[in-house]
Amino acid sequence: MPHLRRRRFLELSAASAAATAIPEAARAAAEASPWKPEKGASLQLLRWSEFVKNDHVIWEENTKKFTQLTGVPVQIQWLSWPDVSPKSALSAQTNSGPDITMGFYNDPFLYPDKLVDVSDLASHLSHKYGGFASVAKTYAYHEGEKRWIGIPIGVPGNAMNFRRDWMEQAGFQSFPDDTEGMLKLAQAMKKQGHPTGFTLGHAVGDGNGWTHWIFWGHGAKQVNPDNSPAINSEATLASIDYVQRLYETMIDGVASWGDPSNNQAFLAGRIGLTMNGISIWYVAKDQYPQIAAAMDHAIPGYGPLRVRTTFNTFTQAFIWKYSKYPNAAKEYIRFMLDEAQAAPWVDGMRGYVTPALQGYWKLPIWTSDKKITPFRDVLVGQRFDGFNGTPGKGAAQTMDSFVLVDMYADVCINKMTPKAAVQKAENRIAGFYKG
Amino acid sequence: MTRWLDSPPVLGILLSIPAIVILGGLLAYPLLLGVWLSLTNTTLGSAGQFVGLSNYLAIAQDPTYRGAVFYSLFYTFFAEVGKLALGLTLALIVNQRFRGYRTARALMLLPYVAPTVLSALAWLWLFDPQFSAISWLLTKMGLIHEYINFIGAPWPARISLIVVNIWRGLPYFAIGYLAGLQAIPHELHEAAQIDGASGWEAFRRITWPLLLPITTILVSFSSIFTLTDFQLIWTITRGGPTDATQVFTTLAYQKAITGGQLGEGAAIAISPVVLMVIFAWFVMRSVREERSVE
Amino acid sequence: MTRTARFFRIGLPLTLYGIFLLLPFYWMLVTTFKERQELLVSPNPFLIYHWTLEHVVGLLTQTRYLHWFGNTLLIALGATLLSVSVSYITAYAIIRLRFPGSKPFGTAIFLCYIVPPAILFIPLGEVLVKLGWFDKLWALIPIYATFLVPFCTWLLIGFLKSIPRELEEAGRVDGASNLLVMRKIILPISVPGLITAAIFSFTLSWNEYLYALVYMSSPDNKTVSVGMTSELISGDVFQWGQLMAGALIGVLPAIVVYFFFVEYYVAGMAGSLKD
Repeated sequence: MPHLRRRRFLELSAASAAATAIPEAARAAAEASPWKPEKGASLQLLRWSEFVKNDHVIWEENTKKFTQLTGVPVQIQWLSWPDVSPKSALSAQTNSGPDITMGFYNDPFLYPDKLVDVSDLASHLSHKYGGFASVAKTYAYHEGEKRWIGIPIGVPGNAMNFRRDWMEQAGFQSFPDDTEGMLKLAQAMKKQGHPTGFTLGHAVGDGNGWTHWIFWGHGAKQVNPDNSPAINSEATLASIDYVQRLYETMIDGVASWGDPSNNQAFLAGRIGLTMNGISIWYVAKDQYPQIAAAMDHAIPGYGPLRVRTTFNTFTQAFIWKYSKYPNAAKEYIRFMLDEAQAAPWVDGMRGYVTPALQGYWKLPIWTSDKKITPFRDVLVGQRFDGFNGTPGKGAAQTMDSFVLVDMYADVCINKMTPKAAVQKAENRIAGFYKG
Repeated sequence: MTRWLDSPPVLGILLSIPAIVILGGLLAYPLLLGVWLSLTNTTLGSAGQFVGLSNYLAIAQDPTYRGAVFYSLFYTFFAEVGKLALGLTLALIVNQRFRGYRTARALMLLPYVAPTVLSALAWLWLFDPQFSAISWLLTKMGLIHEYINFIGAPWPARISLIVVNIWRGLPYFAIGYLAGLQAIPHELHEAAQIDGASGWEAFRRITWPLLLPITTILVSFSSIFTLTDFQLIWTITRGGPTDATQVFTTLAYQKAITGGQLGEGAAIAISPVVLMVIFAWFVMRSVREERSVE
Repeated sequence: MTRTARFFRIGLPLTLYGIFLLLPFYWMLVTTFKERQELLVSPNPFLIYHWTLEHVVGLLTQTRYLHWFGNTLLIALGATLLSVSVSYITAYAIIRLRFPGSKPFGTAIFLCYIVPPAILFIPLGEVLVKLGWFDKLWALIPIYATFLVPFCTWLLIGFLKSIPRELEEAGRVDGASNLLVMRKIILPISVPGLITAAIFSFTLSWNEYLYALVYMSSPDNKTVSVGMTSELISGDVFQWGQLMAGALIGVLPAIVVYFFFVEYYVAGMAGSLKD
């Protein structure tokens, strides 16, 4: 496939051409910036590996510009995203490692004392770029200490991925905007031989993504504001009932699915509906053009609660207190989120990362293709994973132990009664939140 | 001076220093830190206080932990039995001379040699509910009618992981047994043949007893590794579905690293050491027996 | 043996074993050379309809595979050399010199074997930071020695025991020092045992993942396993072709080693079992 290689080449050469020319705005912003890198500073950044190639390419190029402008060399360590947390754990425990880490979810709340106060930077960015999405604050602001311990970056957003052609064959003109409607569509598609696929396995992104959406959409929550378990409720049972009905429309083996499984099944034309980031479409555009043309995206629909209740893999950047160059680190984050750098980055990813800064929702990429637009809006209505409690170890363990996913899987796969599954989840949650 | 240095006690201690430094500094000391950690309520990033055995009491009451204990033992037991039986059989086959036996001996080691993370990924793909080539083949042969749900339900997942573990560890047993077989003097077999013993009888009465020491060694070494297996399970199922394939190490990792509960995580990780001491005791007993023979 | 008997005793079981043991490798092979689309949709997944070198080329040009390969080789060789030498002199000290406390020392070394890496990595990490060994590629050499030395020492103890004492005494009569006896007389005879220990060490170091992942942080210090999983798994998209190509190439050095040394390996193990 020579055209592919050619496109890559063009992308790469365009990016490197850009590197030599630093936009005047970027230079001016750097000069005006209140954070002056320390003398002789150098930085190490630990980042999750790109979901799409351009993320890597443009991020590296922007970093190169930063070094050109400030003289601060930055070494980036790319790691596959589930491997970020062991590294951060070790950094927290040994006070050594990268200066900046880009982590996920509750990470900064596991070791808030180890992290630099970045309230000044957060307020600078927030003022300049239209404020952070509401959930961003929960994931980066420490209520107890009244300070920002991380800078929200954004989410690789989750939206409904569906086959428009099959939806129309099943008699639906548009994608239903509520979960019951979606279930009817799923059932109709299944009748036509096109099952759905939602993972019930221990898939970090996909498993948590859709189960939280359904769970909250039915008005359920795992804990109360005081972090006492709140999962044992009628709302939870209603959500289980929904998942059981949806499970009937699913392809076999979803409990063994990891994060890549639904991508592969969708690209192979085995399923007609799933929840995923933009990666399926992104890959399809290059390699499976018919699928790309036949598919479309939609915002996850309303549950009976009638408010948006989305859930995406939230990522934030935090600076370690042991870092010798906190100002350089702040300046680096500021620089990377500054419009001159962030705009081409977000654009280049074709919608993969929805920025937490709402100003960037106006970028042309979001309306350049109708199939990208839903991803712009996935942060609206996103909740924090430990809703309705506070971030920290309890929430982290509840999610990392897949309590919600397992609760639904217990009913669908292990034939446990809904009541027993809820009871089990409640016990686990109580255990994780105590102490 | 050189004479003094050359005396066995002095030289012996001198020669042992490198091992003492490496194992003491990088193994025993961190292990003690780990044991200490398990007796505290340390969480990530903050020092803990001594809490006695309360972490151990807490995990003992945790159903997920009990599930992990069960599966760790189940996994280890059946994987060891499988590796032993299949490894011994394979050794008996390649112990014979035939064309290409050297290639066969080298090829059979492949699973043991391949980087575990990557071969586990290959298995993950072979176990895929939609794209499994194994299911495809069996369907074409008419043996099954729908694709096998290898890792999507608790029991199939538990068994599938054991199969992969056997796959990876079998060569270690085969090569060990091959060595064991070659250490058996030829005369013994010839004597048995003269006595008119059948092949099976000769195996039962001569070969197997002589293979017992190596069996103990292989099984105990391998049990220790199997009981603390991490990479394979983490790559293929991450302990799922619904914690069905959670073992000591995956649970400890989840607890300590992603959940930040270092103390409790350390307790989970340390808890199987009791079992391992038992395995180790078997090895040392067999080594000692050899010594007494000597 | 008749041909049929031979087939049932060797041919058939060997074929079955071959299928079980080599299936994943066959799978790696076809995945490496097949076009991406075929991986998901193919009339027969075991065959390749459209060959491509794209994955191999991509692996070698778009990633730093060769660099990772070099790192891994360096570490594996270093750890092997260190572990085998340390184990050899330790085993010699325990078995031949019998200094006071040698027996409990042997037991202690053996007990080290039962400590699983997954327990250790947080406390060991603290030790490494204190030593200033964090993110130093060579630090993996002594770290790997912690799980290699116990087994190798055990193996070499068995091997040294099988060497008749008379040989050594003959040397001693000539007035040679213990060190000289160890180097000039015992060492050459121990070669099969050493090779066995070396192969074992090389294999385990080649495959290690957890320590290489958590203790190294610069991109320059990645090993094959870490490099591949961190750069060829992009979020929820696995680069199957390149991953499997890397796995196959990663097996090659070990295959070469085993092909040439498998007989020594067996002989060495056998030697350490004989009494």
